[in-house]
Amino acid sequence: MAVSLTHYLVVAAILFTIGVAGIILNRKSIIVILMSVELILLSVNINLVAFSGSRADLTGQVFALFILTVAAAEAAIGLAILVTYYRNRGSIAVEDINAMKG
Amino acid sequence: MTAAVAFFYLFSMIMLASAFMVIAARNPVHSVLFLILAFVNAAGLFMLAGAEFLGMILIVVYVGAVAVLFLFVVMMLDVDFAEMKRGFLQVLPIGAIIGGIVAIELILVVGSWTVAPAGSAPVGSPITPGVTNTVALGRVLYTQYIYLFQAAGLVLLTAMVGAIVLTLRHKVVKRQVIAEQNARTQASVVEIKKVPFRAGV
Amino acid sequence: MYPLSFSIAHALPETILAVGALLLILVGAIRGEKSAPLVAELAIGLLTLALVVIFIGAKTTATVFDGAFIDDQFARYMKALVLIGSIVTLILSRDFLRRENIDQFEFPVLVMLSTLGMLMLTSANSLISLYLGLELMSLALYVVASFHRDNLKASEAGLKYFVLGALSSGMLLYGASLIYGYAGSVSFPGIAAALKSGPAIGVVFGLVFLLAGLAFKMSTVPFHMWTPDVYEGAPTPVTAFFASAPKMAAVAITLRTVMVAFPNITHEWRQIVMFISVASMALGSFAAIGQTNIKRLMAYSSIGHMGFALVGLAAANAAGVEGVAIYLAIYLVTTLGVFAAIVAMRVQGRSVENISDLAGLSRTDGWMAFFMAMLMFSLAGIPPMAGFFAKYYAFLAAVQAGLTPLAVIGVLLSTVAAFYYLRIVKVMYFDEAAPAFDRAPFAVRAVCAVATALVFCFWVYPAPIVEAATNAARAFF
Repeated sequence: MAVSLTHYLVVAAILFTIGVAGIILNRKSIIVILMSVELILLSVNINLVAFSGSRADLTGQVFALFILTVAAAEAAIGLAILVTYYRNRGSIAVEDINAMKG
Repeated sequence: MTAAVAFFYLFSMIMLASAFMVIAARNPVHSVLFLILAFVNAAGLFMLAGAEFLGMILIVVYVGAVAVLFLFVVMMLDVDFAEMKRGFLQVLPIGAIIGGIVAIELILVVGSWTVAPAGSAPVGSPITPGVTNTVALGRVLYTQYIYLFQAAGLVLLTAMVGAIVLTLRHKVVKRQVIAEQNARTQASVVEIKKVPFRAGV
Repeated sequence: MYPLSFSIAHALPETILAVGALLLILVGAIRGEKSAPLVAELAIGLLTLALVVIFIGAKTTATVFDGAFIDDQFARYMKALVLIGSIVTLILSRDFLRRENIDQFEFPVLVMLSTLGMLMLTSANSLISLYLGLELMSLALYVVASFHRDNLKASEAGLKYFVLGALSSGMLLYGASLIYGYAGSVSFPGIAAALKSGPAIGVVFGLVFLLAGLAFKMSTVPFHMWTPDVYEGAPTPVTAFFASAPKMAAVAITLRTVMVAFPNITHEWRQIVMFISVASMALGSFAAIGQTNIKRLMAYSSIGHMGFALVGLAAANAAGVEGVAIYLAIYLVTTLGVFAAIVAMRVQGRSVENISDLAGLSRTDGWMAFFMAMLMFSLAGIPPMAGFFAKYYAFLAAVQAGLTPLAVIGVLLSTVAAFYYLRIVKVMYFDEAAPAFDRAPFAVRAVCAVATALVFCFWVYPAPIVEAATNAARAFF
């Protein structure tokens, strides 16, 4: 028995689900939502690396490399916006995001 | 069972468990630590799949920079954690059902994996045996993918400009000027006043 | 493989913006806080230069940078629209940002970087360049949404936009990874070649995720929920930006993706596009009725208009692409005109944004009321304004493709939507006058007037736009 592509894809699918669930179910702090986004991107990277290996094609790894780069940039922007919001609102609880309704 | 399979199960189980703890932990600091654990194990998975360079980058960039950035922000925001110790468990059952359904569907799809008709899609940049992963990536990254490489650089530039413009505040900082301190004399800073008796200053 | 000079010649507008953005950062950093007006003017100049390059540059089609970037007639048409949106945004923002005390030189730089992302997105010919263009555009947009950083509403708008945007790019990426895995290629023609023998379930599944991510960027149902809040919370010129340029780029890449990469499974994606289209038209028409804030109203209006534009995409034929292209051009001009009028809504130096503040505008500022009324007629699709012809071309394509029910639904919903546009006209002309607005700067009034003139004159001389759109559609057929 060897590690097949399907193994990786299943792990990535579960990880993706955990990440999406973390965003949708979260009632606590926005920072956990940002971490869930990182989990989703990680699952995508596992997918790409696994496909890359099974197809003997480097493109998947290049794609994953760019995703890593952009995810780091995204985390920086997200945390900056979060800090700005915290300075104005004094809280990062999800249920406190309610200045606008309608 | 080969060592590779054993390691695959080890890494993936720890990764999934710690990923779950990221979203379930009550304390955001614990979430960040579990996130780090998940990344380290994912790096192990990458290496098993033959992507050594990405595995190492994952540790350097994610564990070294991004996760620490998260930790830094969690600490800086000084959030009242006692406030947050509720909420998640109430929605957990429904969430678990929905999440389970989504996961099963995704697994069914990936289970039906069939390679597209052979030869129909030319391989973009084939992996040549005998070349290490890092060298292979380096060879295509600055030639074949130079446009994307530059674009990624611009994304990072945008992130830098954005993070600075949103959070930097120019505070009036008091600086020490030694010359001014040395130039102080008794005459310039001490004032002697005659205070009349019972009249106040 | 082409020489680099050939590649750069075809990516000249992008090169100008990338180099220009770097130079403007230097100018801003060296000259300090006072450089904002200068940097804004230089940015407008560079964006205009890029626009000129598109008009006078090569008219040939070329795929460069190893298949990642395509320069064709459709890309050039959409890029021109994107650049017009960005230029007008910067013109509108100058006075507004100064009054709100947030005129930092980073704003024009971020708008430029975002525009660069949109141009790259419009020309993307592979999943990787799609993703990078999309992220470059979005990251800058997240920042400009919360640019008013001491304002709670603005930072909340930025936060909501960011969280939902990050989720949507995660879904888009998951879809992209599945498509790569099952089709074996990231380039659009490569994917199309792999799908010659019919749909593979993995690819269809990936396509659903991919379209979900793109639907978010187009702000269409069911991924529209951020739109009203972000439109309301962001500074008004930024809202004008959101409603114009990024939508052009998002629709352009959606169109290119489904037309180039998935022409062999049209039946599958057409159902998704039709659902998105009908749901967006319905939500845009009904949810806007109860709104009191004009920026929120414009948010629902934009959701509805994206739905109308997608009617043309659902047709999936040359007439449909042409219809989408015409629709977007007219929508862009009308929206920019309306937002110029909204930017002009200031009472005693304070920005107001309720519909009731427009009451009796015809008596306090007759020209502004006239411009606004004409633009509203255009959005409602009342002939002979341009908005009528936009819908006409899109629906005509749907009928030609045998999607008559879709066109009928579209017509019915557009009459519902007409109600709230006409209500604004009624408020301006027949209600008790509210306090008069301050006199808007010349540039803002000029944008409003030009937009009105354009939507008014389209029926007299539609040839330039229609011809350009026909040429653009030829890129795919």
